[in-house]
Amino acid sequence: MTGTALGTVLADVRHAVRLARLDLRLLGRNQTAMVNVVLLPVLMGWMSSRLMPEGEPVAGVPAEIFVLTGLPGLMMSFAIFVNLVNNFTARREELVLKRLYGGLTSPAAIFGGAALSAFLVYLAQVALLTVWIVRVEGGSPPANLPLLLLASVLGAAVITLLAAAFSGITRTAELAQVTVLPVLLVMIAGAPLFVPVAQMPGALRILAELVPITPVVEITRTAFLGADHIGDLGEPLSFAEQWDAALPSLAILAGWLVVAALLARRLFRWDTRRG
Amino acid sequence: MRTHQETPAIEVSGLRQRYGDFEAVRGVSFSVATGELFALLGTNGAGKTTTIEVLEGYRPATEGRVRVLGLDPRRDRRALRPRVGIMLQHGGFLEDLTVAETVAAWAGFAADVNRPAIGDVLELVGLAHKARTRIRQLSGGQKRRLDLALAVIARPEVLFLDEPTTGMDPEARRDTWEVIGRLRGEGVTVLLTTHYLEEAERLADHLAIMHEGRIHVRGTVDEVVAEAGDRITFRLPEVHWEDLPVLAGVAPAVTRADGRCEVSYTLAEGPAAVRAHAALRPLLDWAAERGLTLERLEVRRGTLEDVFLRVVGETTGEPVAAAVGGAR
Repeated sequence: MTGTALGTVLADVRHAVRLARLDLRLLGRNQTAMVNVVLLPVLMGWMSSRLMPEGEPVAGVPAEIFVLTGLPGLMMSFAIFVNLVNNFTARREELVLKRLYGGLTSPAAIFGGAALSAFLVYLAQVALLTVWIVRVEGGSPPANLPLLLLASVLGAAVITLLAAAFSGITRTAELAQVTVLPVLLVMIAGAPLFVPVAQMPGALRILAELVPITPVVEITRTAFLGADHIGDLGEPLSFAEQWDAALPSLAILAGWLVVAALLARRLFRWDTRRG
Repeated sequence: MRTHQETPAIEVSGLRQRYGDFEAVRGVSFSVATGELFALLGTNGAGKTTTIEVLEGYRPATEGRVRVLGLDPRRDRRALRPRVGIMLQHGGFLEDLTVAETVAAWAGFAADVNRPAIGDVLELVGLAHKARTRIRQLSGGQKRRLDLALAVIARPEVLFLDEPTTGMDPEARRDTWEVIGRLRGEGVTVLLTTHYLEEAERLADHLAIMHEGRIHVRGTVDEVVAEAGDRITFRLPEVHWEDLPVLAGVAPAVTRADGRCEVSYTLAEGPAAVRAHAALRPLLDWAAERGLTLERLEVRRGTLEDVFLRVVGETTGEPVAAAVGGAR
């Protein structure tokens, strides 16, 4: 029965997993999308690490490593944000969301399913990037995997909710390419990918402090390198100190989670028909 | 037999629904008893879909009260969903999945909330031979069948069908009627909207005719049809039309063309069993006195179509009113 709270949560989780599996199966059937999933981290990694002047360390690490360990945060805006704005908008258009909403699946399960499949794709891309970092660039594997995962989960949750909100103001799937553009530009410009926030020029620095992927970039880099990259210096930290250093950024993400949830609640739409 | 104390499966009272300045539903009330099939009949834009979507929990009522199985479709959504099946007007499939994959996923959703799914649901709707086909490749009618399969897969107690046979060929329509009839036989309460009169006539225990956001006529099929009255029609040379008799208090409706008159009487008053016979005698006497022949004389019971056209005509004041306006 669905009477108990636990039963409700379990049903939602099972529904979300089922929906995520459907999503991944559909992804597997779409070769273009599959190629993009693999190409994205490889291309972005190659491009952004080549942009750096050779051999000059940033915050105490080789420039390529600095960029690549921060890249997962920025990748999130493609792998999750663009992906889900498209997904939510197209499925609203095709009345898939309406059918699901009217069916046995709760809104939490529907969001959860979409978020889970996007997140799994993102994790696969991060794994690919890690292989690149270790094999090609000669870096070390992540120093603090739990922290890396926590930042990924929190960041993905924020980005998923923002995507839900943006799909609400996107009338058609074609328009999605336009509505995501300003967000992408802001994220790309604002993310502390190439230099630490402290070394960014004034205006960009304010932007960096504001965009929700900055904490993801910084925590991810810190967790990867086992050194303090939240702020600037890159001082080596112990496992416990890494958590300590990440705490303010985690709090910022939690704050973003609330903001994004409110935005999604206000803007998301299940149905094309509205009055 | 049902008792009067039993709570209706569906209750709607004083429902109003506004979209900005436009009021799509303007004070609708009806109730559907458990195990009954109720048809909402109306033209496009009559407010049928809006009404059913409020009951399905898609939108809150602007005004009024709706209950399904005694529950509020929005507030009690979680408790209600597993007990309700919904067939949307169109679409909503993941088109790159096959029919079987879709059914398996929906059966899984049902199993996850402890509703055992109907095992042979594709057999039930006659789609078993398409199990391995991608939904993208199905015809419109086949998609409607799949839609019905998904609506009933979790054995709902209440089934909402929004124009279930639109886009189907006659054979598919008959099959669907049979499925709906079978579900009703198993005690499922059904609310369906349609603009096919035959569908409502064939399936409904009770029906309501909706037009411009209001219910104008309602009752059992027999009750509603009885309201249409019996019709007597014939043709005459034009010269005689001014002198036609009043039959059972009803004046004739006359349409003139090419020097002839088409005459019709609609008898809505008096006992349904005998009123046509009683009216015919004075008419035949009148003709005999003048040595006239009533060409193509026809006596028939009114149909649902007569009632429907009257409702649609009355409110819009379109020419259709003149054609069936004899009763007024």
